[in-house]
Amino acid sequence: MIVRQLYSRQGRQLLSVNRQASILRRFQSTETQTPTTTVETAVKVETEEPVIPVPTESALDNSTSSDSIRLAATEAFSRQRQNVKNFKKLGSVVRNKYWPDALIENPPLPSQITLELLLANQTHLGHSTSRWNPSNSQYIFGIRDGIHIISLELTAAYLRRAAKVVEEVAALGGLILFVGTRQGQKHAVVRAAELTGGYHVFDRWIPGSLTNGNEILGSCDRKVVNAFDEELPEWAERLESRGSLKPDLVVCLNPLESTVLLHECGLNNVPTIGIIDTDADSTKVTYPIPANDDSLRSVSLIAGVLGRAGEAGQRRRFESAKRGVLGYRSVSLGKKDVAERPESEDAA
Amino acid sequence: MGKYNFSAIRVRQTALQAQIAGKIPYTPVWTDIIRDIPPSQILVRSQPQQHQLVRQRVKTVPGESKPRTVFEVQEKRLKPKKASRMFLPVEIKYEEDQLRKEFFQDHPWELARPRILVEKTGKDFSQYDWSRIQQPGKRLDGESVVQRQLWLLNNVPDITKSAAYDIARQEFYRLRLQEDIERRVAAEEAEATGATFGPSALEWGMKFENEQFEAWKEWAKAEAQGLANRTSANALAAGISELPGTEDNAEAEEDRIAEPA
Repeated sequence: MIVRQLYSRQGRQLLSVNRQASILRRFQSTETQTPTTTVETAVKVETEEPVIPVPTESALDNSTSSDSIRLAATEAFSRQRQNVKNFKKLGSVVRNKYWPDALIENPPLPSQITLELLLANQTHLGHSTSRWNPSNSQYIFGIRDGIHIISLELTAAYLRRAAKVVEEVAALGGLILFVGTRQGQKHAVVRAAELTGGYHVFDRWIPGSLTNGNEILGSCDRKVVNAFDEELPEWAERLESRGSLKPDLVVCLNPLESTVLLHECGLNNVPTIGIIDTDADSTKVTYPIPANDDSLRSVSLIAGVLGRAGEAGQRRRFESAKRGVLGYRSVSLGKKDVAERPESEDAA
Repeated sequence: MGKYNFSAIRVRQTALQAQIAGKIPYTPVWTDIIRDIPPSQILVRSQPQQHQLVRQRVKTVPGESKPRTVFEVQEKRLKPKKASRMFLPVEIKYEEDQLRKEFFQDHPWELARPRILVEKTGKDFSQYDWSRIQQPGKRLDGESVVQRQLWLLNNVPDITKSAAYDIARQEFYRLRLQEDIERRVAAEEAEATGATFGPSALEWGMKFENEQFEAWKEWAKAEAQGLANRTSANALAAGISELPGTEDNAEAEEDRIAEPA
């Protein structure tokens, strides 16, 4: 049995609480003062002249009592307001909390890539050693707990190079297509395409979209824009004779499942950027980025960095367009001299 | 070339050739970009990075006044690697692996405690100073003991592994005890100011057990009643067994059959 009542309790706040004196004090011979509680609640103040209740009238019509109730309510309300005002500054504020969408909504710039950032976003985790593709041995730093660890330095170097390519292609007005068809990659893919001013595929790559584009994408909307991305409706009839558009750069976030897409890009001579995990084939893409393609954080980081690079490229393109410098061949329709930059409404 | 398809890495050459051959009127916009930023070499098989276990220790040398920091490198294996394993990646080893293994073998339930794995910047380590076991922004857990022990091994002169383990462990136990007391005091304070925590796990257990006991009591009462009825009926039947063919006798017979005597 634990006899605890004989000792004073440990609680610090307990001492300040008004409560019944402990039983030991009752045995003292001298008189002890019992603490009296003073409760400050609004009590109905008795008026000078007593109100004689009239049975025919209801209590609600009694103006004097309703006034005092209203007074008490107003007082209580103002006291509550005062309390809120007094205690609002107290308590703790949670700062620097983890926001899972931060990487997607506000991705880092290519210049902000650090090894710590890559490590925190799990880009170094490869696959089980038994599942490796030996062609990726140059990207592998070592083995840890039965999985291959991808070298963070190489990831950073290859990611910067790919970001530079995206930026330059965007600066020259090329069409950039982001493809990530795995579960959960949709948000990152769409955001990267939004930043780059490019296009996205997140559900399924329809086989033949490049090799048989006229059949598959023939009904999609297209428009001709000028150097400032304003639509030129007078070119609409010229568009009929043109074939379907092909991207100038494809960023593939899951090359393992996008075999058909990468094969079509090879046939159509389209440069590609891809995340190459330790089990992927690095010959499938032009610019490999050795990184973890199974973690959504890793994929979001890489897509975000490339999106930021594309954003910088687009900014450069608009600036040079203001100076009248175009990164691409301009064409004219009759007398008017405009720059042609065909764009499709929807890539897939 | 063989089984490989290098069309992805040769996009620029292909575009230039196609333009020369007249297949396309102009080269694509990216032709010069790929010239300026060429793709890297692929399928290069280089010697993988070797990882050696390095131990840092501080030792006192008889002639010197100051202790000296010594780096001990793990000896190379006597039997050299097979030639076929020359290009395989190597296992990454750290000194704390062994320390971690020992600690969690001794304290397996430390692994059952929740732990935050998400890192935002990856620079949490820069705030840590393992000259003391408690760190800002990090919960006290098994990893704290391991890192503290490692720091002691790296910085305290002539310390043995077990001595460092004991120091780190004792600090850890003290803080865990303090946490327990703080938790209890907080609960008491909360109760004193009006919080109710509801029945505890033990009280819930007792409640369920009591329910089962009550159910058993009713069942046992019914059984005992049935048994008593049957014995009295048997006794009655035995008393009037001289009258064959009566209904009571037939019932008594049935009862006798039902009972595994």
